[in-house]
Amino acid sequence: MKGNYLGELEELVLLHVGILYPNAYGVAVMDEIEKQAGRSLNISAVHSVLTRLEEKGLLKSKMSDPTEERGGRRKRIFLLTAAGKRSLEEANELRNQLFSQIPKVALQFRLA
Amino acid sequence: MNRQPPKWADRFLQWYCRPELLEEIQGDVYELFYRTVNHYPRQAKFQFVWNVIRFFQWKNIKRSKSKINNTGVAMDMLRNILTVAIRNFVRQPGHSFLSIFGLSSGLICALLILTWIIHETSFDQFHSEPETIYKVMTHVKSDGNFQTYDLASSALDVSSIPEVTALASVSSGSRWPHELCFRPEEKTNECIYLNGVYANENLFSVFNFPILQGDRQPLKGAANIAISEKMAERLYGKANPIGKIIKIDDRHEVTIASVFKNVPINSSLQFDFALPYHILQKQWGINEAMMARNFFNIYIKTGSPISAEALTAKLNDTRVLTEEHKSQNVSYQAYPLLDWHLKSKFEGGKNTGGKIEYVFLFGIIGALVVLMAVINLVNMSTARASLRAKEIGIRKVTGALRTSIAGQFMIESFGLVLLSFIISITAVEWILPSFSSLLMQPIEFHLLQGNTLLYLIGFLFVVAILAGLYPALIMSSFQPVRILKNQLTTNASGNHGFRKSLLVIQLSVSLIIVIFSGVLYRQLEFITQKNLGFNRSNMIRLEPTFRLLKSYESFKNELLKNPNIISVGGSNDNPLNSAGANTGVTWPGKPDDLRVSIRTIGCNPDFTRTMGLKILEGNDFQAEKSDTLRTEVLVTQEAVKVMGLKNPIGEELKFGQIPCVIIGVINDFHTSSLHEALLPVILYRQHIQSISALYIAFQPGTTEQSMQAINNTYKSFEPDYTMKYWFQDETFNETYKTEIVASRLTILFTFISLSIAIIGVIGLATFTTIRKTKEIGIRRVFGASATQALMVLTKEFISVLIIAILVAVPLAWYTSDHWLQGFAYRTNLPWSIFTISVVGLIVLIMLVIVILGIKTIRTNPTQSLRTE
Repeated sequence: MKGNYLGELEELVLLHVGILYPNAYGVAVMDEIEKQAGRSLNISAVHSVLTRLEEKGLLKSKMSDPTEERGGRRKRIFLLTAAGKRSLEEANELRNQLFSQIPKVALQFRLA
Repeated sequence: MNRQPPKWADRFLQWYCRPELLEEIQGDVYELFYRTVNHYPRQAKFQFVWNVIRFFQWKNIKRSKSKINNTGVAMDMLRNILTVAIRNFVRQPGHSFLSIFGLSSGLICALLILTWIIHETSFDQFHSEPETIYKVMTHVKSDGNFQTYDLASSALDVSSIPEVTALASVSSGSRWPHELCFRPEEKTNECIYLNGVYANENLFSVFNFPILQGDRQPLKGAANIAISEKMAERLYGKANPIGKIIKIDDRHEVTIASVFKNVPINSSLQFDFALPYHILQKQWGINEAMMARNFFNIYIKTGSPISAEALTAKLNDTRVLTEEHKSQNVSYQAYPLLDWHLKSKFEGGKNTGGKIEYVFLFGIIGALVVLMAVINLVNMSTARASLRAKEIGIRKVTGALRTSIAGQFMIESFGLVLLSFIISITAVEWILPSFSSLLMQPIEFHLLQGNTLLYLIGFLFVVAILAGLYPALIMSSFQPVRILKNQLTTNASGNHGFRKSLLVIQLSVSLIIVIFSGVLYRQLEFITQKNLGFNRSNMIRLEPTFRLLKSYESFKNELLKNPNIISVGGSNDNPLNSAGANTGVTWPGKPDDLRVSIRTIGCNPDFTRTMGLKILEGNDFQAEKSDTLRTEVLVTQEAVKVMGLKNPIGEELKFGQIPCVIIGVINDFHTSSLHEALLPVILYRQHIQSISALYIAFQPGTTEQSMQAINNTYKSFEPDYTMKYWFQDETFNETYKTEIVASRLTILFTFISLSIAIIGVIGLATFTTIRKTKEIGIRRVFGASATQALMVLTKEFISVLIIAILVAVPLAWYTSDHWLQGFAYRTNLPWSIFTISVVGLIVLIMLVIVILGIKTIRTNPTQSLRTE
């Protein structure tokens, strides 16, 4: 089992679900990722990640009301769960902690 | 431009997508489509299709219903199906036995044939790249006709053909110098006769005959011999044979250079030892130039791909085919080695098949037998369907789908077929040795190895599906309401006509086989009892050594002292299977353009008496030659007729340039198989030392004592050699080996096809009896007699029988007639066999019906009618 390990794309999708609250669904997530991170993904790839995250218990979903733009079909709205929120925090914390440990010298680039 | 996404893609999505995911996925692709369609309609459509394809992933795809089902339930169901199958099987042991027995015997027959076919087609396949090896055939044109030999000039030079990488030249034969006497190390006064070849050094590189021990190229040395494992063991036991000295013909010393692996039985080239040509030259006592004039078996191996036609053209090029041969109307042909075993018959310079015809014939018979067995299984299981109707009804009422009922019957059929397969494969492995002795041919092959196992599994599935499909479709179509209301009688188990026509096929096939084997038997009887014109019983043919011939007179006198020995004589050709005919005989008044084939046999004066030939005119050969200038000859009546001589005695003939004089006329006799017409024969007096075989006739019923006496006398004259002899009767049978094997096989097929057909009749009769139980009951109530009631049952079969007979008799007639045409001497088409077979079949079928029906007829009608 991969456990709590969060993949890079998974983290990105999870963050955007948080950003788009309460209107995060497949196409919206895809658009937002393209806008914010500049990465264009296929809709099916976004779906894969969303379902995987739901299986891991980091997201939950419900069906919205029908909308006109989809030919009367409902959207599946994704929401962060408590576990999802915690794993985002953990990832963030780990990154900050690791970043702070980099010696200052290593980050000082000068024109040689 | 329409603003809708492509319909087919949408439909595809709806087809594959899991229903619980469909709405959101479809929603997303639609949303993306509508977003772009206003600006870029074409792109939007493309994008839609692309997205649909991208969503086609395992996790999104619909699962089949069975997957949704709990597997536990399916297992229970399977167990139930098996239980029911076994119960059904046990409840009617007779029927189950017949089904299994019918299918197994059919399969045994088919598997035996399959084994034989695989064996026959595997010949020479074991060489490395066997398709690149060609045999050089020689066609000689004479009088507009072609003679074909599998030999070519030993001086053949193929260095001008770049594609040819190696040439192997092999000289083989069945007598001296290819069959030689070898003496085991321990018992040097004993002879073991072994057959071998003389070859050039490429024998072991062109062909795949692995060398186990010693020199890789044994034939490079002029005084080397390579021997087989088997020969090494027979001569030296466990001791290492390499380096030992063998004397060929007790004269020429050769050293054992290598031991090779025994030649596989599916090799067309068979030998126990290989010697270099140098030895052959010494044995024949000829020089290099004379040696080069000989024709041997020539094999060429090609390196780069070249077609047989192109190679043939290059062989006939002037650089290969010498002017000398060309002037003798010789042409060469490159013939693929792989074709040689099955297609070795040549007529008019063209290949006209060979053993392949038998492979096809038996292949068809095998397929027919399997077909009959499968038909049986179908008939038997549909006939029993009515008995299982209630079970099917209950299953359907409790919710079984049609597919699961069909599946149930497929599983049952599969089980039955599997069981039959196991039985028949075991049986085949067990029977194979006796089968191969029946065929008078060794077969070393096992079904359960390599690829054949896979083919067998495939075959099993095909048979199981063929046997199970029809019953499964019929039985699963039953309507539960009608079954449970007992209204099954109409169209109870499928199309009755269909099953009747299956029975017609079965009966016709077995009738054809029965009639044909009868004809075959009659013809064989005709051959074996036909008077050939000379004696062949109680006679042996002995191959004399040179020393024995030198003391022939005393050997003969010694033998004749024994009262059991009647006569001794010698000739240079066995009259049972003489080969080759002489066209070089001339006589006074012979027209120049007349070419007659005459068989000429050289013999000593005792020959005619030993063979029991009758002198009709003139005199027999006398012990002392009376005419010292000319060769004395005896001619047959046929020869007199062919030559058109009024007064044959004293007439002078010429064999080429040799003058001969006729001293007597003898009765006609056959000199080859009865496939060929009788030829005129001329017996000429030959010196005893040029004779190749002695014939010894002994008193009937004294075989053992006579053989003892002959052997003792032989030992006293030739203590160093083991006597080599054959019974003339056995040699005669050998001539008709193919026919004898065929007759044995047809007996087997007759038995199997008849039993399968009878099982088929039982299947249908059972069904009819069940169906007609009530009818018979009612008839009985109204006073019908037992015979009349029986007529009700037999009525069904009369049309089937008539059609079967109408189909079978002409076909059997055609086949038998065609086969008999191959004999110059044949019995008339025996109509009695046709009548006996047909009447026998009718009686047999009636008997089966009566036995099966008698119970129903005897039942008190009140019982059969009460069940309503």
